[in-house]
Amino acid sequence: MTPVHSFWSEVLGGGLSGYILLALLLFVIGLATVLIRRSLLVQFMGVELMLNAANVALLAFARFRNGDVRATTFYLFIIAVAACEAAVGLALIVGLYRHRQTTDSDRADALRQ
Amino acid sequence: MFLTFALVTLVGALAMSRQKNLIVAGLCLVLSFIGMAGIFLLLSNPVAAALQIIVYSGAIVVLVLFVIMLLNAHEEEPAGKARPVQRWAGALAAAVLGAGAFKLVAVSPALHPANVQPTIPAMTLGQLGSDLFHHHLLAFEAVGLLLLAAMVAAVLLVKRDL
Repeated sequence: MTPVHSFWSEVLGGGLSGYILLALLLFVIGLATVLIRRSLLVQFMGVELMLNAANVALLAFARFRNGDVRATTFYLFIIAVAACEAAVGLALIVGLYRHRQTTDSDRADALRQ
Repeated sequence: MFLTFALVTLVGALAMSRQKNLIVAGLCLVLSFIGMAGIFLLLSNPVAAALQIIVYSGAIVVLVLFVIMLLNAHEEEPAGKARPVQRWAGALAAAVLGAGAFKLVAVSPALHPANVQPTIPAMTLGQLGSDLFHHHLLAFEAVGLLLLAAMVAAVLLVKRDL
C-alpha cells in the first residue's frame, strides 16, 4: 500500500489525520468568511468557526495521543472565554450601529466620526 | 459515522459563508455546531458535545441572531465601492494557507498512524468536575470574574449615557 493511499484511507476512516484535516478545513472556511464577507455579523460567525476548529484539533489530539481529562478542562475554559468574547464583540457591533447606522466593515474604516 | 458528521459540519460552514440572508447563515452555523458536537461524541467526549450544543448552538448563536434581528440587518448592505482585488487576494491567502497546512498534515510524523497511541476511555462529567475543583480552582474563579467583567463591559458599551 502506497503512503498516499494509506493517508486517504486514514482520513476517510476517521483516524487522527481525518479530524485534523476537518479542523483545518473549518479554519480555512472561517478565515475565508472573515476575509471575503463585508457584514460584521457574518465575519463574527467566521471567527466563531475558527475558534471551534481549534477546539476540534485540541480534543482530537487529546483522544488519540493519550490526553487526560485536562484537555476537556481546557476546552471548558476556552468556551468560557469565547462566551466573553461573543458578548463584548456583539456589544461593539451594536455600539458601531448606534454611531454609524451600519454593520458593514468597509464603511467602518475610520476611528473618528 | 465520522464522514457523516464531518460532512454535516463542512456543509453547514460552507453554507454559512456563502449565504446572503444573515438569519439563514446563523441557522447554517447551528447545523455546523451540531455536526461538531457529533464529532466530539465520536471522540468519546460526551461532556464536550453537550457543552458545544448548550453554549454554542444554544447561547452564542441565539445572541448573534438576536443582534441581527435587533439591528434589522437581515441582508448584507450593498457595497459602497467594489473591491475585487482585495476579495480575490483574501480568498487566495486563505487558499494558500489551507494548502500549506494540508501539506503539513499529510507529511507530519505526529499524525502518522504508527505514532498514534491506543485510545483512552470515555470522558465523564465526574472526571471533569474532579479535575476542575482539585487542580484548577483558582482558574475557575478567575473565569467567573472574567464573565462578570465581560457582562459589565457589554452593558457599558451599548449604554448611551451612563
